[in-house]
Amino acid sequence: MHQFNDIYPFSAIVGQEQMKKALLLNAINPRIGGVLIKGEKGTAKSTAARALARLLPDRQVVEGCIFGCDPADTKGLCPDCQKRAPGLPVTMAPMRVVELPISATEDKVVGSLDIEHALKKGEKKFEPGILAQAHRNILYVDEVNLLNDHIVDVLLDAAAMGMNFIEREGVSYVHPAAFILIGTMNPEEGELRPQLLDRFGLCVDIEGIHDAETRVEVIRRRQQYEEDPESFIRAWETVESDLRDRIVRAQKLLVHVKVSDEMLKLIAQICIDMAVDGHRADITMMKTAATIAAYNGCDEVRPEDVREAAGLVLAHRMRRRPFSGQQMDQRKVEESMRRSQGAGAAAAGAHQHTHAHSHQH
Amino acid sequence: MHYFNDIYPFSAIVGQEQMKKALLLNAINPRIGGVLIKGEKGTAKSTAARALARLLPDRQVVDGCIFGCDPADTKGRCPDCQRRAPDLPVTMAPMRVVELPVSATEDKVVGSLDIERALKNGERVFEPGVLARANRNILYVDEVNLLNDHIVDVLLDAAAMGVNVVEREGISFAHPSAFILIGTMNPEEGELRPQLLDRFGLCVDIEGIHDAEMRVEVIRRRRQYESDPDAFIRSWQPEDDELRRRIIQATILLPYVVIPHEMLTMIAQICIDMAVDGHRADITMMKTAATIAAFGGRSEVREEDVREAAELVLSHRMRRQPFSEQQMDREKMEQSIQKSQQEKKEPDQQQQNPENQKPQENTMPDGSTTTVFAEGQPFRVDQKPLAAPRRIDSFRREGSGRRSVTESRDGKYVRSRIPEVIGPDIALDATIRAAAPHQNGRDGPLAVKIESSDLREKVRERKMGNTVLFVVDASGSMGAQQRMTAVKGAILSLLIDAYQKRDRVGLVVFRGTGAEILLPPTSSVELARKYMQQLPVGGKTPLAHGLSRGFEVIRREMMINKHTIPRLILISDGKANVGMGTGSPFDEAKEVAATIREAGIASFVIDSEKGFIAFGLAQAISEEMGARYLRLDDLQADKIADLVKGIQA
Repeated sequence: MHQFNDIYPFSAIVGQEQMKKALLLNAINPRIGGVLIKGEKGTAKSTAARALARLLPDRQVVEGCIFGCDPADTKGLCPDCQKRAPGLPVTMAPMRVVELPISATEDKVVGSLDIEHALKKGEKKFEPGILAQAHRNILYVDEVNLLNDHIVDVLLDAAAMGMNFIEREGVSYVHPAAFILIGTMNPEEGELRPQLLDRFGLCVDIEGIHDAETRVEVIRRRQQYEEDPESFIRAWETVESDLRDRIVRAQKLLVHVKVSDEMLKLIAQICIDMAVDGHRADITMMKTAATIAAYNGCDEVRPEDVREAAGLVLAHRMRRRPFSGQQMDQRKVEESMRRSQGAGAAAAGAHQHTHAHSHQH
Repeated sequence: MHYFNDIYPFSAIVGQEQMKKALLLNAINPRIGGVLIKGEKGTAKSTAARALARLLPDRQVVDGCIFGCDPADTKGRCPDCQRRAPDLPVTMAPMRVVELPVSATEDKVVGSLDIERALKNGERVFEPGVLARANRNILYVDEVNLLNDHIVDVLLDAAAMGVNVVEREGISFAHPSAFILIGTMNPEEGELRPQLLDRFGLCVDIEGIHDAEMRVEVIRRRRQYESDPDAFIRSWQPEDDELRRRIIQATILLPYVVIPHEMLTMIAQICIDMAVDGHRADITMMKTAATIAAFGGRSEVREEDVREAAELVLSHRMRRQPFSEQQMDREKMEQSIQKSQQEKKEPDQQQQNPENQKPQENTMPDGSTTTVFAEGQPFRVDQKPLAAPRRIDSFRREGSGRRSVTESRDGKYVRSRIPEVIGPDIALDATIRAAAPHQNGRDGPLAVKIESSDLREKVRERKMGNTVLFVVDASGSMGAQQRMTAVKGAILSLLIDAYQKRDRVGLVVFRGTGAEILLPPTSSVELARKYMQQLPVGGKTPLAHGLSRGFEVIRREMMINKHTIPRLILISDGKANVGMGTGSPFDEAKEVAATIREAGIASFVIDSEKGFIAFGLAQAISEEMGARYLRLDDLQADKIADLVKGIQA
């Protein structure tokens, strides 16, 4: 499972800053809900997603639990841990990247009857599937747009509430399945279903690098890596561990990050102006902005954090119009920010809403 | 059933009053028959449905009965309770929310042979399934439109009689299964079958809140909830408790609610005027109005209760006009209410909506103008000319063609059967069930001895119809003589047909300098229609781009979905004037057309040129593509009925 030696270091990926940022933000705050990486072939999409595994911080798990239950979350335990609680043995384990191959069959994804157990013992037992492994981990789907429709149905069902209900092949079972969905896709090969699209917290569009120097750097590093992976990885280890430290620091800071009413209004206004469906965009934008602030070592969300978050959150949530593409209009976001801030300042003056925090920095 | 995650409190949901009301009414009066919550993504649909579980009141049940039988109901009891009656131990238990996952297989839904008992004691004992647990409870299906057709059939069967009859694996069993169906769906992911739609007592359509203050409140509460769920739930406990108290009060009041005769007349009149099918709407409206009155603490139904009930009851029951958005015409309802009040019959003042045919013009940044035309009236399209060639291969269509049972190993495992030839797709659970009762007298190293006669194979089902891809010319020339209006009318008609057949539809549009996949093949006809409505017209005609993009989409569709029979429908006047390379644009288009023919894709060309065909360009493309050629004018008429009888490939 932990074949880290084969993984190209995250920090060694040249460019693609937005993609790397989006992945890091998810490592800091899993509640953001994953990333969809859209882009042409050969743009380090898969490399980055797999490389993230090395950076993921440890978290508490119940020792020996296949679902990796959180011992602190007494309500979110699997049936087995529930039986054993309290007094669950606790250990630390890093988050993992669990792959969902597009050829996966439904029973392997959802889980099914443990055939061996049934035949040998004549008893029914649930055999956990990929969704079980994915609990509290990253569920990674390469070429997510090629996933079979009925597998997508199952994913959607589980993602809706973070639980997997099984009523099939003679077994009834229910277990937690709250995962971070990371997917890559090449839009040339088809689009994603709207409901699945919305399940990705963030979305980044990437393309190849056009600067010659940088391109050379990409080739050079790849060559170095392939010639001697181990020493390449070793050479990058300090940078990687710095990044890992930064993630851990940001995680600690995150709980203290304040989001002022003005920022909440700004977020709501942007979402209204951009005519997104539902409220998931607002909520994700709030979480993302807070995580960006924490990543920057700041304990308060500022307008630029919201702006950056908007870029990541809205790209795939805009209503499509013919011939306008599903592109985010950055100008429109700016406009919306200006308007909301003007109104916010006026309102702050009118109400006695003027808090202690200063507005100009 | 117990839930893993904390449940967001019902009272803390911001806005969405109609949805909350509909759910509460069902908690008060289960006979209303459930709610379907339709709406865009991220609008608290699932959150609300699950949060309801906390508010459900207690009711009497037979102690220890898995079906939760009602001790007072002497006729609707399970076989076991019937045997033990009249000395049934009674206890109080709250209603529960029972989940039906979309991956469910038939055996677990209807119940099946208890494997363990069969293996250990050689007994044939019924093991109850989801339908048993759902009795007198709420059956909750998230993303109900993704449910397999076969499972839907099973649900409908049980819902119709309130009884689940099991005849399988040597077991005969019947038990009560009267449940409240609550489902959520995003219509973008496909529609629901009308029979299933009708099973939902109420239906609410919801969308995101547009008010900035309220949106902020949504975010704020979510943030509070996530940072400390326990504290958040505790702080909303008083509101939830108050709501539960009101539910209980309303439950007590409900039997005493009087429905005056005028109100019944009004209900009937509304249903007549709104042209609903059957009488379920009337009855549900009556029950709903009474429950609304009870919830309001009143013992008599008033006009406003009927009005509120009508909105909840009628929205999904209007006679199927797939693309009238199935929305309720509020004005019409008001008229109907007034009419029933006045009691005197006046001649119907038919309100004719003046068609908004005025095209909207838009100036693009580059100076060219695009125009959005209204869609023409849908007409009944003669489908024969557009029928797909029959394919002789390994799948058969069952029933009305809405579902296909595939022979391959992809698709959802829904049930099992005795195989004709033993293949690799063995259903082991079913095989073990088949073998279980015969274990006495068999020898072998395993705990379960299996013989070849026990083998069962999986029956898999995939949602699929055919795929119809529209490749639509939206160039400037289509704007002349309201042509686009007629084209939109034609596509709309074809979409309605696709909707009825549950086909997948896609939309490729070309104009200006390129083509775009406006809508990748999807089962949401609604979405296709929305895109088509907004389709602007203007610019040049890159026909080759359009065709090759369409070709790509179809090829990919065939790759992913091996069983689909794609059809490409080109709608254009054929006046290509933008090429992909350096050659003549028209010749290029013919080349791509030839490729499509060689790939064996069934295609159709609808020539949008009106009246006398002066150029015959579309026809030339059609010949190159091996397509069936039709004129837009012809499509409307019945005269081409037999035109294409021999279309079988």
